[in-house]
Amino acid sequence: MPERLNVLLLDDEPIVGKRLKPALAKIGCNVEVFENPREALKRIEEKDFDIVVTDIRMDEVDGIQILEHVIQKSPRTKVIMITGYAMMAVAREAMEKGAFDFISKPFTPDDLRKVIAKAAHTLGSPIDSEMAS
Amino acid sequence: MSQKKGIPPTMTHDLADQAKTLEGRSEQIQATESARKALLARRRHRHRYSLQLHIYLSFFLVFLFVAGVATALMLTMYGVEKKLRFLEIVGEYMMEIQQARRFEKNFFLYGTNLNDAVENVYQAKQIFDNNSEELRKILGKSSQAIIMSNLRRYETMLERLVDLEQTEVTNPDYPLRKKEIEIELRRQGQKMVSLAQDLMKKEKESLSEAILRSRHIHIYTPIFLLLFLVLNAYLLGSRILGPIQRFSVHAKQIASGDFTPITPERRFRDEFTDLAIAINQMIQELKKREAVLIQSHKMRAIGTLTAGVAHELNNPLNNITITAHMFLEDYDHLSDEERREMIKDVVNEAGRSREIISNLLDFARESGSQLEPLDLPELLRETINLASNQIRLSGIKIELQSGGYLPRIHGDRQQLRQVFLNLILNAVDASSKGGKIQVLVVPADEPSYVAVKVIDFGSGIPEHILSSIFDPFFTTKAGGKGTGLGLSVSQGIVAKHSGRILVSSVQGKGSTFTVTLPVTTIPADIDSSKNLSGRG
Repeated sequence: MPERLNVLLLDDEPIVGKRLKPALAKIGCNVEVFENPREALKRIEEKDFDIVVTDIRMDEVDGIQILEHVIQKSPRTKVIMITGYAMMAVAREAMEKGAFDFISKPFTPDDLRKVIAKAAHTLGSPIDSEMAS
Repeated sequence: MSQKKGIPPTMTHDLADQAKTLEGRSEQIQATESARKALLARRRHRHRYSLQLHIYLSFFLVFLFVAGVATALMLTMYGVEKKLRFLEIVGEYMMEIQQARRFEKNFFLYGTNLNDAVENVYQAKQIFDNNSEELRKILGKSSQAIIMSNLRRYETMLERLVDLEQTEVTNPDYPLRKKEIEIELRRQGQKMVSLAQDLMKKEKESLSEAILRSRHIHIYTPIFLLLFLVLNAYLLGSRILGPIQRFSVHAKQIASGDFTPITPERRFRDEFTDLAIAINQMIQELKKREAVLIQSHKMRAIGTLTAGVAHELNNPLNNITITAHMFLEDYDHLSDEERREMIKDVVNEAGRSREIISNLLDFARESGSQLEPLDLPELLRETINLASNQIRLSGIKIELQSGGYLPRIHGDRQQLRQVFLNLILNAVDASSKGGKIQVLVVPADEPSYVAVKVIDFGSGIPEHILSSIFDPFFTTKAGGKGTGLGLSVSQGIVAKHSGRILVSSVQGKGSTFTVTLPVTTIPADIDSSKNLSGRG
């Protein structure tokens, strides 16, 4: 059994965290869920995560700021952006700024698992995204 | 709501609304139709007095007058001629009489020339006889008869004198008789001469009168003609210039979105009445087109809002997707409690989705003009709610402040919402990310008006284009992003509500759009003319 991946999941929609936490746990992730970007930023300061999954559009601090912060603090961390419809421009901006990938709402838990597996592979600690099913 | 009926609540609401709309529209058509009938009825009651008729009539009057003057002059000339001829005849007659009297005198003095006198009288008679027709016309039958009898009497006297002369030797009464005849003859002669002189004097007076009359005609004709022409020019001028002025004022009103039809103002009909009817028809057409324009602009606004809605819709949709997938995936391991919670989440998120699109659907629904008392702060809250996705997407904060108690206004909810939505979306476009928009509802400076201010802190509007921003098809947005109709349509809607849109802008600091609307206790009819008492 490989080492569990430390994942931070940030989305201001509570259901996203509530449902995805167990979904990701199944494929061997330690998931910390945040709804408030400021609290997430505080946690990022304290701990180096392997993967950060963040929504791009949030009220106080947006995903791009989170991305910039993470890359500055821990360059090896893979950042996956959650985007919405009609935000391709922002998604492109995120990719240019060093995001690992992006995933568009609405997505299924499997969609996210696949992206996370890809990120884990890149990190050198592959996981099986099919484990859950 | 039972499922059997199969109609969701929004749908029934829709149907009810549509019915209301149809009712409103048929009322509108009825109002227009009755206005038209009234106009036509008034037309029928007024006489038609066209400009063409006026011009023809004035020319005809001038012609009649000139012809009358010419006739009068001709008649006067004819009279003068006749009088001259009469004077000539009377003159000749007078000469003969005077000659006769001279011979008569000679006879009494020297006993000669009696036959010459008779001859002269005969000549006078001849003149009289030859011109009897003409003389009778002037003198009349009785005067002619008097003169004739006088002449005849004088002639008889002379003849008697001639007879007496032949019995000079035999008649013992001769000197007495001669004296008698002489006295009688002198008296008669005197009478005849003075009669003829009287006649001539009278005729001469009448002649100079005729000449004076002709002179007066010559003097007064041009004066009268001038007065008439000046008066006619004034009347014709004011008939033409008055309506032209009215129409130009009206054209400006139409341009500013006030579609009050032209009402008859004069007691008669003419070409301008036809023009007014044509313009009223044009106004009807413009009204229809404006309605289409408002609708199409609304569709445009809906297009803008749709992007925000589509984005916002992703959140509940994503929540439903994730929850449903996890529900399926973990079904066997979930407790009843957990299953119930997940399904509840799905239901809630579906409700949230409906909420997101219902605002837009409500706004998108086509509806006719409907007036109702409106609470402006509430209307603005609705509008901000409608644009909230777009506003959030742009990362802009919006603030609504209303100043204390504000009276309601009467207006069309949909149309006013369109105006405020347009102003708010413009403000969103003008603001940069992280910016702020303020919406204020305050009493206006004018009494019984309420003002809505939409304030942005963007780049402001350059002064040189400030005057053209309300023009149709004027846009500063690049690449077909704007139609240039938003403010133009908004202005039209606000004008229909008897309100105004004002703009003030400081470059680099932002812009303020102020909509002032009248507080009305009596609903104004937006579609028919709102001020019938106003001049058309």
